[in-house]
Amino acid sequence: MTDASRWNFFTVVVLSLGVVWIWMSKVPHSELKDAAKTAPQTGFLAPDFSLATPKGEQIKLSDQRGKAVIVNIWASWCLPCREEMPALQRIYEESASQGLLILAVNATNQDDPEEAIKFSEDLGLSFPILLDIDGSVSSRYRLQSLPTTFFIDPGGKIDEVVLGGPMAEALLRVRVERLLKDAKP
Amino acid sequence: MMPVLQVGPFALPLPVLTVLIGLWLGLTLTERFAARNDLKADLVINTAMLGLISGVIASRFGYVLRHLSAFIASPMDVFSRNLGLFDPIIGIAVGVISSAIYAQRKDLRWLPTLDALTPALAVFAIALHLSHLASGEAYGTPSNLAWSIELWGIRRHPSQIYEAAAALAILIYLWPGRKNVTSLLPGEYFIRFMTLSAASLLFLEGFRGDSALLPGGLRIPQITAWLVLATSLVALGRRRQKINIR
Repeated sequence: MTDASRWNFFTVVVLSLGVVWIWMSKVPHSELKDAAKTAPQTGFLAPDFSLATPKGEQIKLSDQRGKAVIVNIWASWCLPCREEMPALQRIYEESASQGLLILAVNATNQDDPEEAIKFSEDLGLSFPILLDIDGSVSSRYRLQSLPTTFFIDPGGKIDEVVLGGPMAEALLRVRVERLLKDAKP
Repeated sequence: MMPVLQVGPFALPLPVLTVLIGLWLGLTLTERFAARNDLKADLVINTAMLGLISGVIASRFGYVLRHLSAFIASPMDVFSRNLGLFDPIIGIAVGVISSAIYAQRKDLRWLPTLDALTPALAVFAIALHLSHLASGEAYGTPSNLAWSIELWGIRRHPSQIYEAAAALAILIYLWPGRKNVTSLLPGEYFIRFMTLSAASLLFLEGFRGDSALLPGGLRIPQITAWLVLATSLVALGRRRQKINIR
């Protein structure tokens, strides 16, 4: 057997094994259907929570299916959080009627609730401010950095996670436009 | 998983830092061994840096052009630090074309230049997989093996570690300081890297839990890797023939 023949044989064997492995490692049909797992990561269902606004109104994330939801975890002492709030407010004013909901989850366990409420009133924020008093949502969403923002599609699946800030208004616009394609006003 | 490194009051994005350190180490290695390919190190580094810088700028402007209406409302966001405002495909295309034009103008032969840049690519591959480990992206399929890691609620294959280890093994095997590297034909060093990297991706993608899929569950990266592997093996075969004829 010549060197060229040996190499051709080796190539054919390697590529054939590759085809077999591609077929063996394809994702089973059952797993394709069962893609609804929960985790604070892109591609997973957003972990559910129910929190109260400063006025005592309870808002549950899973009740918002059909809407495009932005969950923004913030604190009043966090400068990037403060900087991105006006942009969030503008986007909310523009797109709430098309099915956008912004849930601004205040990390109250590491913030002064009075400061947080005063800040939201000073800015005239019209989307719900939710108080995460015991830090359970921060924990469930594995909060590593403030602010952290989760873009959630109308099916409840996380479309993107943005760590840190401030987020550019253009970024918000592009992401919201994408999410609103399937949202119900 | 550690997406953010807290240093005093600063929250540093660890995945981005890892990639930047990988780029720096890779280019340092390339600079050190460029002379083995009979190339001037500064020209090779300039080629890489031009590609990187033009790629980053183009990927931002490409993104802006694709989403012009969003930026008309807030034009200063063109200069935003947000990493989500880049178009990687346009960036890679423009970066490669800019580097190719620069290399041609400087009379750099393209096969030895690719060989000289290979160590940078090999180190960058390791850094990229480690950045995935830091961010929790590119996670593995569920598994109960002893070395599985807890990620996103369940125990999974540590696919990022598999991929980083494979990339490290490729770098060690193709270490540019080895004597046998200098006896290769121009371009062969790069093709060997592509062959090994494609084989590694083809195998290890099977343990990924987030692959892009075709209908029927076939993994797109595996099919792409198979095509690259086939092309590389054929190219290597032709080079062996050339050597034998000599």
